[in-house]
Amino acid sequence: MSPGLATIDAAAVAAARAKVPAAFGSPPTQRVLRWLGWLAFAAWLGTVLWWFDVSPVRIWNGIAGVMTILRLMVPPSPGEHLDDILRGLSESVAMAFLGTVMAAIVAVPLGFLGARNVATSLLFRFSLRRVFDGFRGVDQLIWALVYVRAVGLGPLAGVLAIFTADIAVLAKLYAEAIENAEKRQAEGVASAGARGVLVMRFGILPQVLPVMLAQALYYFESNTRSAAILGIVGAGGIGLQVAERIRIRAWDEVAFIIILILLTVAAIDLLSSRLRQRLIGTAPLH
Amino acid sequence: MLELQGLTRRFGAVTAVDDVTLRVSNGQMLGVIGRSGAGKSTMLRLINRLAEPSGGRIMFEGTDVTALRGKALRDWRTCAAMIFQQFNLVQRLDVLTNVLVGRLNHRGTLSSLLKLFTAEERALAIRTLDRFDLAEAALQRADTLSGGQQQRVAIARALLQEPRILLADEPIASLDPRNGRVVMDALRRINREDGLTVICNLHTLDTARAYCDRIVGMAKGRVVFDGAPAALTAHMVREIYGMTEDELAEAEAVTSTSVGTLRDPALAIA
Repeated sequence: MSPGLATIDAAAVAAARAKVPAAFGSPPTQRVLRWLGWLAFAAWLGTVLWWFDVSPVRIWNGIAGVMTILRLMVPPSPGEHLDDILRGLSESVAMAFLGTVMAAIVAVPLGFLGARNVATSLLFRFSLRRVFDGFRGVDQLIWALVYVRAVGLGPLAGVLAIFTADIAVLAKLYAEAIENAEKRQAEGVASAGARGVLVMRFGILPQVLPVMLAQALYYFESNTRSAAILGIVGAGGIGLQVAERIRIRAWDEVAFIIILILLTVAAIDLLSSRLRQRLIGTAPLH
Repeated sequence: MLELQGLTRRFGAVTAVDDVTLRVSNGQMLGVIGRSGAGKSTMLRLINRLAEPSGGRIMFEGTDVTALRGKALRDWRTCAAMIFQQFNLVQRLDVLTNVLVGRLNHRGTLSSLLKLFTAEERALAIRTLDRFDLAEAALQRADTLSGGQQQRVAIARALLQEPRILLADEPIASLDPRNGRVVMDALRRINREDGLTVICNLHTLDTARAYCDRIVGMAKGRVVFDGAPAALTAHMVREIYGMTEDELAEAEAVTSTSVGTLRDPALAIA
């Protein structure tokens, strides 16, 4: 038998502790600092709860209100305007599709420019990344409000809102995927004498393309959900129908629309996960 | 006693391991040789049950290992520790935690999730690392070590499992000759000093001859040779590798990590 745990006595522990003291826990100063960190975290949490007057009673009352609404939602009903609902829903899906495709295409070159291993100029990369951050800092809904003023009510404003908000997010995700790409494969292409853009095309793109497509598909699904909201501010899609029905407290019709949205998103999720699995499969990329 | 009875594994139309029957007595150092794709790796993975056999049985001390499920299967894996060609350490964890991974099946899940290892376990880990001159590296991240050091960390992890058998899958194929020798010496030491059964896949003949009590040669999934290193005739080598030993030596001189001689004569085969 190998010398196991049973052979370790107090003396053996002391010997090992003398050899590598840090293996038996951090030094006291570090431990105190860690405790202070946790304490600060708890204090912050408590302060915020107190500030917003979050109390068990208020939460309980809120739950009671939600239960009343849930009761009114049963049974869900399509109401008298099923055609409007279906048109709104397909409009939302189309908006999400168009906005995501456009953003995904524009984000590819931006992603390459923002990647540390591609754009070697620190100043350029830093400025580009800050621009990404700026665009990401503004929510889709704000963009929608802006575009409704700029191009008028309707789905175009929604498509532009999705497009603008997602370029920066996808570009950042793409840049990170490119930075995590394996250097050796690109080195193999460079060693054959290929110029920079061809090294990216043959050494990096085949590695990151499945990741890029998978992320774009994920955003398409997520955007279908958020496109349902954009209608509330007049940017087209199913959101307007939902807002109107909430205003007149037609909760059974609201429930019907929510169920339709859930089914649509589930269908898109199913399709895109199939597609993603195909993409990361064994077939060679072109 | 570890016994393989008609062990078979098919991948689609390919039979990677074909009706292998072997008896390995406790404390033996067994070298498995053969060309790439001869089924050596698959056989070791079958023994650890990382791969499921298509047919046949694995018996250890009267227990049918192939029938084990759940906790009993995990206990078997702990008992038959595995070393990999690419070391398979968790790169982002420190060396100490990598070694303590060997204890995971010996302790409670919750305390393990919180990384609450006892002082005794830490001491055992440090002492085992120290056996391979790595105690100083205990708090370094695994990916900062050289290949030879990483493989010794992997051996320390295996030893923390307190196994009866050590399965080494091409342990030196990714190492330079000097590091390869250090690792083979380490395997030899735990075979001799700790009395562990060691089954070691090697693709170089010289290394197998220098370190193993017994050699099994595989070709196309089948055992074509089983005997002492001395019994490995030129004819047998030709059968296993499809070339003469001279051609093989020439090819090895060009391509392989061969560890032909023992550094420590005390560890030589009696």
